[in-house]
Amino acid sequence: MASRGVKPQPRGKPSGLPFHAHFTDEAAHAGLRAPVIYGPPDRMDYILESMGCGVAFLDYDNDGWLDIFLLSGTRREGPVEGATNRLYKNNRDGAFVDVTAKAGLTRQGWPCGVTVGDYNNDGFEDLFITAWPQNILYRNNGNGTFTDVTEAAGLAHPGKRWGSGCTWVDYDRDGRLDLFVSNYLVFDFDKIPPTGKDPNCDFKGVPVNCGPRGLVPERPMLYHNNGDGTFTDVTERSGVSAVKPGFGLTAVAADLDGDGWQDIYVACDSTPSWVFHNRGDGTFAEQGLLSGLAVNEDGNEQAGMGIAIGDFDTDGRLDVLKTHFAEDTAALYRNTGRLVFEDVTIRSGLGVETRYVGWGDGLADLDNDGLPDLFWVTGSTFPEVERKHPEFPHKTPRVLFRNLGGGKFEELLDAAGPAIAEAHCSRGVAFGDFDNDGDLDILIMNMNEPPSLLRNDVRGGGHWLKVKLVGTRSNASAIGAVVVAVYGGRRQAQAVLAASAYLSCSDRRLHFGLGAAATAELEIVWPSGVRESVKNLRADQLVTVKEGAGVVARERFRS
Amino acid sequence: MRIVIWTGAALFSVMALGFSGAVRVVRAQAPLAQAQAPPAQTGAEAHLSRGVQLMQEQLFEAAAGEFEQAVALNAKDPKARLQFAACLLSLGRNDEARKQFEQVQKLAGGSRYVTYYLGRLDLLANDYASAIKRLGSVAEEPPFPDTAFHLGVAYISSNDVAAGTKWLERAVQLLPRDYRVHYRLARAYSSGGREKDAAREYELYMQLRDEHKNTEKDVRDCSSALRTGPLATAREVCHRIYDPNDADKLTLLGQLFGDAGAFGEALEPLTRAVQLDPNSFEAWHNLGVTYFRVDRYKEARAPLEKAVALRPEFYGSVVLLGATLYMLGDDEAALPVLERAHQLNPADAQTAAVLEKLRATKKKE
Repeated sequence: MASRGVKPQPRGKPSGLPFHAHFTDEAAHAGLRAPVIYGPPDRMDYILESMGCGVAFLDYDNDGWLDIFLLSGTRREGPVEGATNRLYKNNRDGAFVDVTAKAGLTRQGWPCGVTVGDYNNDGFEDLFITAWPQNILYRNNGNGTFTDVTEAAGLAHPGKRWGSGCTWVDYDRDGRLDLFVSNYLVFDFDKIPPTGKDPNCDFKGVPVNCGPRGLVPERPMLYHNNGDGTFTDVTERSGVSAVKPGFGLTAVAADLDGDGWQDIYVACDSTPSWVFHNRGDGTFAEQGLLSGLAVNEDGNEQAGMGIAIGDFDTDGRLDVLKTHFAEDTAALYRNTGRLVFEDVTIRSGLGVETRYVGWGDGLADLDNDGLPDLFWVTGSTFPEVERKHPEFPHKTPRVLFRNLGGGKFEELLDAAGPAIAEAHCSRGVAFGDFDNDGDLDILIMNMNEPPSLLRNDVRGGGHWLKVKLVGTRSNASAIGAVVVAVYGGRRQAQAVLAASAYLSCSDRRLHFGLGAAATAELEIVWPSGVRESVKNLRADQLVTVKEGAGVVARERFRS
Repeated sequence: MRIVIWTGAALFSVMALGFSGAVRVVRAQAPLAQAQAPPAQTGAEAHLSRGVQLMQEQLFEAAAGEFEQAVALNAKDPKARLQFAACLLSLGRNDEARKQFEQVQKLAGGSRYVTYYLGRLDLLANDYASAIKRLGSVAEEPPFPDTAFHLGVAYISSNDVAAGTKWLERAVQLLPRDYRVHYRLARAYSSGGREKDAAREYELYMQLRDEHKNTEKDVRDCSSALRTGPLATAREVCHRIYDPNDADKLTLLGQLFGDAGAFGEALEPLTRAVQLDPNSFEAWHNLGVTYFRVDRYKEARAPLEKAVALRPEFYGSVVLLGATLYMLGDDEAALPVLERAHQLNPADAQTAAVLEKLRATKKKE
């Protein structure tokens, strides 16, 4: 991570338009009271202690209600009593119950990212977790419990590695989810000097933890799903290993160029980000630079942390939002087709915000007006700095840009409820409708604090449509499918993602705000390549579409 | 031979300015000489000079404060206002900068420099049509080498890829070593479907970007070696920065040696730098400082005169030139230069004391 010293653009006059989403932090009421432990609370002596971890919204028991999986770390000095990754089951009344122990998921270590997907196509979502020094695969047994099958699946790697980003991806269209893992850097507590021991590791004159610059960058890995519960390392064979090493973080898989094959985008910290273009023959070509997604519009690499994929200009193509360090902007890339992206950060109005270190992000319609908004969480990596430089606080507010249409955004500082302005040191974030009321709520990991659960209460009467896909020829989770919703003269694309934001995983049910439109059509491209369309869908319902069978279920939520 | 008496704040401040510890060459765009100034008031000049020094040190907030005071004391001086405006632009205070530039325009009439800055502000405000109009009007006789670059960006941003490409092609001629320009041109070629041209520009971009990164690393290594090891070892490490055809790198190398007090080592790269880029204020100033520090006052004179000619408001160069002339025994030449230095920085007690002494001597004569 490094500051680039970018100055903010001046803020224009507020639009004065009402914003109909209102967020309240309901974590405590919902029973999410256990703090997420990650390193010491008041300092971060090693970069491992500063990077935090992801969160997930998932429906592990297939009851139609989103459950919560929270990663949690430890401390170098020794285990912390009660610290563990946690699974919370949704009580369907706004509260959650901790089922970690019952589920067999109790574990304390240094987890980083999580990806959710049904890798064995048994109808239940499984969990893969990246971590230092070893990653973990949990198979969902379908009875409320999970089993660590890392060794048996062939996913245990030799030596210590810092797995960071991870995503399920069916890269060869065989109907089974393969696995992509990015690694951050070569880390060892005994070989990297802590804060204060290396004079070269400072920020604004304050000694801070070292890295990533100056440390050894890593390469990602790709595992092929053999269909028998095991995986084969195909990093070399697929061409993924040919990439120049970098500080890889969040990895997102989606068909970015619309050729029917899953590509993989990796946010890299302080090195050019990677775009692995799927050639359709089992191999990838790294095309970050050619695509325009490797660096910013001046050709400078940024401290890539989180990635959001969505369609901000509703032109039917998947665009990209990437978050970065303080004194820099987030980057918004518009997809112009043929895997070419245009950096529209400044012209879209995002240049006004450069104050915070940005992490998990989303490109999602938060107020159901039919236009996807931008949201990201923030938090410093150097808690020591604010004592000398109060302008770089450790805990910082959330960032929300509402979509004004026409490719323009406006930052809302206090118009979206108290939970947006609250300051925390956050990392992972997931978007989903945990209370099934037709909007998007937000789950946030806060360092050494309980998580935040931002309940969204949307007013204004904007319509919405939720789409759940079930693959048959494709993987059961339909990960990699792209849905274009056509409504009110707009064409908005969304992809079913197994991971996004910062090392996190969101609700697999796609949420389309429709604004004033009371009906919509869907154009679906399944990961298998099958195309399907659904006409004349009424708004304000969840539809389940099964591959090859059309709409198989409809559910209207309470308003 | 005179005894060196200039050991106080003035000299140290000069040294601090000359070898500020910066690890890169800062090319401030200071179009002061272009604006016609009315007779300056003493206080305003001092604030202006202090602002220029602070800008040189990249302390923009403090510099803006000085410029603001200079403008308040002499509202009709376009020089101070132009500096103030440029400083505000550096701070990202674009609306205020625009107001100041427009004031300069009213005070001094049309200026290519002001038009350039207003064009850049238009670009930052996403007003591409106005940016194209303004930057286009000065592009044939550009006030700064990056004018064509910004004009190209304005055209690209307004979706006129063909015109943008044309100006970016011009920009790479003017700024052949700037990786940003090659990257933008590569993107423009990609957008226009010119894949072969794009591939060439990407290649150049990567090569220059790598060079830039390698230089950054070399600078860190050199600084560290100068700080921690013997000079002989550091010399070897620092030599990696040496490029006989790159004035910026040579100036940087001279600065690094100067920061470490290795003035003897600084002379050669700085001498070469001024040959390659005779308009580099930083190179001339640092060469002058270096000669002064090794007591070669005769040789310090010309570089410092050149530096003062390039930046007449820069107190550091002016006071050191005065000190050099004084050390050479040329009191007649030293007196007006030191008077000018005193005007730029009345708070410097040592300069004031020497001035008093010189004036007294002159009176006796």
